[in-house]
Amino acid sequence: MADVVAAPEALRVVGRAVPRHDARDKAVAATAYAADWALPGMLHAAVLRSPYPSARIVKLDTARAAAMPGVAVVLTARDVPRNTLATDVPGQTATVGPLRATLHVLAEDRVRHQGEPVALVAAETLELARAAVEAIDVAYERTPGVFTPEAALAPGAPQVHAAGNLLAQWRIARGDVAAALAGAAVVVEGEYTTQLVDAAYLEPESGVAWIDSDGVITIRVSTQVIEHFRDVAEVLRVPQNRVRVIGTYLGGGFGGKEDVTVEVYLGLLALKTGRPVKMVWTRQESLLARAKRHPYRMRYRTGATAAGEILGQQIELLGDAGAYAYLSALVLLYSTVTAAGPYRVPSVEVQARVAYTNNPPTSAMRGFGGMQTVFAYESQMDRVARALGMDAVEIRRINALRRGDRLPVGQVIETHVALPELCERVWAALEPPTPPRAPHVRVGLGLACNLQPYGRIVWLHDWSSAWVGFEMDGSLVVRCGVPDVGGGQASSLCQIAAEVLGVSLERVSVHIADSALTPLAGTTTASRQLYMSGNAVLKASRELREQLLRVAETMLGAEAATLAMTGDLVHAPDGRTLALPDLLRECARAGVPRGHLAVYNAPAGEPVDLATGSGKVFPDYTYGAHAAEVEVDTETGVVRVLRYAAAHDVGRAINPQSVEGQIQGGAVQGLGYGCMEEVLVEDGINLTTSFATYLIPTAADVPDVEPVIVESGEGLGPFNARGIGEPPIGPPAAAVANAIADATGARLTRLPITAERVARALGRLDGTN
Amino acid sequence: MQPFEYVAPETLPDALALLRAHGEEAKVLAGGQSLVPLLNYRLAKPHVVVDVNALPFGDIASDDGRLRLGALVRHHQLEESEVVRRRCPVLADAARCIGNVRVRTLGTVGGSLAHADPAAELPAVMTALDARLTVASARGDRHVDARDFFTGLLTTALAPDELLTAVDVPAVPAHGWAVEELSRRAGDFAVVAVVALLTVDGRGHVDDVRLAFAGVADRPVRARAAEDALRGHEPTSERLALAAAAARAALDPPSDAFVSAAYRGMVAGVLCRRALARAVTRALETR
Amino acid sequence: MIARMVLNGRSRQVDVRPEHTLLETLRDTLGIFDVKEGCGEGVCGACTVLLDGRPVSSCLVLAPAVRGRAVTTLRGLERDGGLHPLQEAFVRHGAVQCGFCTPGMLLTALAFLEREPRPDREAIRAALEGNLCRCTGYTKIVDAVEAYARDRGHG
Repeated sequence: MADVVAAPEALRVVGRAVPRHDARDKAVAATAYAADWALPGMLHAAVLRSPYPSARIVKLDTARAAAMPGVAVVLTARDVPRNTLATDVPGQTATVGPLRATLHVLAEDRVRHQGEPVALVAAETLELARAAVEAIDVAYERTPGVFTPEAALAPGAPQVHAAGNLLAQWRIARGDVAAALAGAAVVVEGEYTTQLVDAAYLEPESGVAWIDSDGVITIRVSTQVIEHFRDVAEVLRVPQNRVRVIGTYLGGGFGGKEDVTVEVYLGLLALKTGRPVKMVWTRQESLLARAKRHPYRMRYRTGATAAGEILGQQIELLGDAGAYAYLSALVLLYSTVTAAGPYRVPSVEVQARVAYTNNPPTSAMRGFGGMQTVFAYESQMDRVARALGMDAVEIRRINALRRGDRLPVGQVIETHVALPELCERVWAALEPPTPPRAPHVRVGLGLACNLQPYGRIVWLHDWSSAWVGFEMDGSLVVRCGVPDVGGGQASSLCQIAAEVLGVSLERVSVHIADSALTPLAGTTTASRQLYMSGNAVLKASRELREQLLRVAETMLGAEAATLAMTGDLVHAPDGRTLALPDLLRECARAGVPRGHLAVYNAPAGEPVDLATGSGKVFPDYTYGAHAAEVEVDTETGVVRVLRYAAAHDVGRAINPQSVEGQIQGGAVQGLGYGCMEEVLVEDGINLTTSFATYLIPTAADVPDVEPVIVESGEGLGPFNARGIGEPPIGPPAAAVANAIADATGARLTRLPITAERVARALGRLDGTN
Repeated sequence: MQPFEYVAPETLPDALALLRAHGEEAKVLAGGQSLVPLLNYRLAKPHVVVDVNALPFGDIASDDGRLRLGALVRHHQLEESEVVRRRCPVLADAARCIGNVRVRTLGTVGGSLAHADPAAELPAVMTALDARLTVASARGDRHVDARDFFTGLLTTALAPDELLTAVDVPAVPAHGWAVEELSRRAGDFAVVAVVALLTVDGRGHVDDVRLAFAGVADRPVRARAAEDALRGHEPTSERLALAAAAARAALDPPSDAFVSAAYRGMVAGVLCRRALARAVTRALETR
Repeated sequence: MIARMVLNGRSRQVDVRPEHTLLETLRDTLGIFDVKEGCGEGVCGACTVLLDGRPVSSCLVLAPAVRGRAVTTLRGLERDGGLHPLQEAFVRHGAVQCGFCTPGMLLTALAFLEREPRPDREAIRAALEGNLCRCTGYTKIVDAVEAYARDRGHG
């Protein structure tokens, strides 16, 4: 936990809703995204992708394509120095064994999903590159595939990988679930299905690579993880210090730019040709081939007393990993740990499995396994409440986790859980109810809560580093390797440094996301950057402040502890002030550094055995409650969300405007997930490879989202902030489902909740098929 | 895009000569809102693109209640035109449902009809309105009724060397109208759309009635049975329901990956009843 | 082929290739990167420009078809090097997150407000339905457009 908690009124910059420094540049389109970059002599790259979900490559002849005028190079797996990308997943269960998640850069003898990369082309123009891709002579022999996890785990199923189709499994057993359910006054059973969805950021995967002076392969790319420079180096078999990744401001990431995208291909092509190369995926490619969010099938049995206390939950989760492991085992771990929700449940059994199929691969996406389960556990809570005739807020209040409680995995909750307050706030925000506007319309209210970890799993030993320093004129520089995905990651760091060092925000510059020039900060994922890099900047700023005040002490003749830094000045208790440039000149003379590097290490731990419920998995959690008011057209099944309120305890809002933006944006992504979005795949073939068929919400599909920020003053981040990047995406689907149940009595258990599914649930399609 | 020859004829004879010369190898570019995506994704690879936007077919003319729409009239013109709103408000309403604002800036009446997407609004409206299309070729002009123009999925009565130049919308008496549409997302192609036009006579009975659907077949569908069930009757809610049921019974809508046939049919019935009710209300207001 | 067009208020002769879209010409030939590509089929709105004052998808306009017409990209809004008041409203209200949709969103909103100066929130939402945003959830974008329309009305 952060060491000093300043009272909110004492803060000048932190806690203020200030416009972000990057917003101005973006509003005038001065921000150079990864594709907004061109170099003299630059080549353009394109990828040949498999049209089939499961096939052997029986012929791959690039001669004709390579001979086309203007084509610089055509590469296949044979040309890749080390064709495998690998991630170790520690702590995997004994049944599956330690997992080494591997991925081929380019397909070797077989392809396992539609869109899998088979060959690369670089040419003088994009048009030529695409023409050359079409000219590659490739032949496939189709092989039987598996397209659901159930089919994949059935005996005799075609094997996607040699080690078998069960990619990972986790198990939690706590208490005696059978006895708990047997002794319950009410037991509710439900099966829930969630769908495959895409991150659908507006900016497709893109980047430019070139060989810089001293032979450093430099890749300017839209990524959430600049540390992939190491993966590129491994693939190219060059030393890690010969690859540099410059992360651009992203046009959205949402987890979809956590795994490697274009950077390995760009590195290869730049190395092979010696020329700058640009690769920008089309929307079609992005929707076809990018890793997506796991579809789940979830079975829940929940038992409660007549008073509504949850006694036990029996939970089975089955996920579809698609054709490659990526981060599936970890996504499943998040699901397993959060499966019982933000509630005190004495007896829990969770069996979670994820299987390989020949569907598009699934991996990180905002929520990271913490969100599929929300749909299930919050639907279950609603059903229990209805079965007992209880109020939606009341049942959550009596079951909400409190400090000192244990999660099913055994982790003790160490910070405040504001769940009852969050529920009351969103419920009150939707008063009074909207009257139905027509006889065929019903209106209902739904509530849903969640918990979402922030920060990485403790046994990954997470850390971040940052450098903070003054220039001679008193302007401040922050250097931190954080990629900014659009959530205000960089600007929050400026606020923190400005706060501690008493500098006006306009006088802070921040340099981010350069693996060669900024201290490494780790991934912009897992809602961790404010927590991790915020703490690193806080630490660097505080240590720098001490360092400078030791010099100021002598100049002002007052003890450092009595000095204040505000308004670009150092203030002594007697009213005298010292201008920063004067202080900095003195530092230079005295040989005291004007800058300081700090490393923040997250609380670490050892892998736990989930089954014995032995301990800590995540540093901490963020809690939320959302409420939806929906209107159901009972004749057509069309659901409109009329009003929406979303509350989260963010510990402390560093920038309330950014926090609101995360809540509103996450809620609308969650509404898209709940009501509209689906990557449709039939026998491994993706039917939704355009924005005309893969639908995300427009401004006309969603209501205003009323954000409710609760600041408990408890969190592990700087100034006691909690992570807020992912949490708001969790509850919307369940909130809508619960509101539909409130309006009509119909219980929707499959996402997305389309008009047709609602109509079916209302019996409007009875007697037809 | 695959390279092609781009030509922008300034006269109709020049345009028609180009179409005759290149036949299937040529693609006509009007608003481009359907063609250019196909070019971008290399799904269409014409040798020649004939940009007809310089031809003088961009005007809306009105005569005796009839409307004559040049084939290059843009959707936004239909939305904003005073004369369209006065003479044929259903056209303005339908235009407002088309795509997004950018599609409506460039998309043309002729382009929409010639593309013949079965879920598009204008083909259904023209079918309801009994519009007559003027088709030009080097052989001269010919006229095709809207009901004969749409021959299947994305196919029309147009030969490769023909160009749609104008659409005549007959005078519609003071009437009630409605466009009801259900789409998967705001601004998207309709899952089902219904266009209703009707008049109510002095006795309060339905006089003229036209109903057409989009999204329920491979082309726009006129609901004759429903029209017959309504004509000459008092438009009570029971009668409207009866007509809507008749319309639904006559449909055999398709299934696709997103929506089942059963749901389409059910929604067609509901929207039909709602469109009729709204059209009746308007007809009674304007009587 | 050479096409003359008015680009952000200045007449320009541009070397266009027939098989290029306006988007490709702006970005790849002219280096005008304030126009973004999000989908290549006119759905997302990231490539919105104004053609003779009306919003179009520059990815769905063939470059040679622009001859003789006026194209406005976001840079065309610049006023004496400063921000347009709608841009300021976007910054002030937190309507910008990743920023990729922002240029198209701004141009669409401005063209809309030309025709409907005092819209309510529902009308603003309807007007922006063709411009996808994945970050903000739209609320703050609507806030910004509404505030700009209101302030401009009083000014």
